[in-house]
Amino acid sequence: MLGSFKNVLRRILRVFNKKKIIQLGFYGPVNAGKTTLANKIAKDWLGKELGNVSEIPHETRQVQKIENVEVSTGSGKLSMNIVDMPGIATQVDYKRFMGFGMDDEEAKTRAKEATKGVIEAIKWLDNVDAVLVVMDSTVDPYTQVNVTIIGNLEARGIPMIIIANKIDIKGSKPDAIESAFPQHLVVPISAVTGKNLDELYKAIENYLT
Amino acid sequence: MDLQLDFVSSETLESKTKIEKINFIIGKIKENVILILEETLDPMEEAELIETTMREIDTEDFHGIEFYRIDHESTLRDKIADYISGRKTGLTIVGPTRLIEAIKRGPDYISMFAKLDIPKSKKKK
Repeated sequence: MLGSFKNVLRRILRVFNKKKIIQLGFYGPVNAGKTTLANKIAKDWLGKELGNVSEIPHETRQVQKIENVEVSTGSGKLSMNIVDMPGIATQVDYKRFMGFGMDDEEAKTRAKEATKGVIEAIKWLDNVDAVLVVMDSTVDPYTQVNVTIIGNLEARGIPMIIIANKIDIKGSKPDAIESAFPQHLVVPISAVTGKNLDELYKAIENYLT
Repeated sequence: MDLQLDFVSSETLESKTKIEKINFIIGKIKENVILILEETLDPMEEAELIETTMREIDTEDFHGIEFYRIDHESTLRDKIADYISGRKTGLTIVGPTRLIEAIKRGPDYISMFAKLDIPKSKKKK
C-alpha cells in the first residue's frame, strides 16, 4: 500500500520535473537478456557497458545502475537512468552452477548471492518509474514468474513495455508473448544484434514518459 | 514413495494474515508437501512468497518452490462480487522444486510434472 502511494507520488512529481529523467527498471526471469540489453543501450549512447553477461544463470546478482543515459528518438530526446535487476526466480539450486564447471564452494556462494539478488530486485519495485519486462522469445512465456512480475507492476500502477528478446534466434516466437499478455505493448527486439531498438526507444518515449 | 498433496480451504486461509499465510505455505513445502490452495494469491502475496522462499533457501535441503496460479474464468459481475467480498476465486498449486519439476499450461488443462525419487531421509516423518 505504501509502495503504491510512493509510486503515485513519484509519478505526479515527475510531471513537474523539467528534467524528466525516468528511472527505468529492467525486470524479467533469469537469462532473458536484461543485462545484454542494458549493455547494448549503454554502449550505444554512453560508450560503456553496465555488467557482465553469461550463459550461467544468475550472472547479475546485484542491482546495476547507470545514470543519465540520453537517447535520440528521432522526434526528441529520451533521458533515463537504467536499473538492471537480477533475474527473478522461485528456485536457486547451487548444483546447477556446478554443471558449468564451478566447484562446490563457488557454486554455493553464487547461490547465496543469487537469492539476495532476487530479494533486492523485488524491493526495487518501489523505486522505479517504469519497467521493461524482458522475456526470452524462444521459451514458453506463460510462466508464473512472468505472471507475478506483470501482476505486481499492474497492482503498483507502474507503466511497462514487454520486450520479446532474442528474435535473432531461429524458432523464436514473439507472437506467443503477445498472445500470453495481450493487454500490454510487446516490442520484439534482439539485444545482441540491436534489431528494432529504434522502435523500442520510440515506444519508451510514447508509453513510459 | 509417498506423495502428499494437501488441499487447503479458503476458510482456513482467510483467517490468516499475509505473513501467517506465507509462513504456513513455506512451512508445509519444507516438509515436502504439495499444496493446492482454494484461492489465488494476489500479486503482492506472490512477491512475498518469492522473497520468503529466497530467505529460506539453504544449499542442502531446500532449493525453492514451483507455484502456479489458476484464475477462475469469471464474468464482470463475478469479479465485482469477488472484489467487494474480498474473495480470490481460483486455485494455487505450490510445492517444493524437490518434488515439482514443472507446471505447464495447455490449451484447456494444467499439467504438473512431479519427481518421485526423493531419498527417504528427506521425506516428511
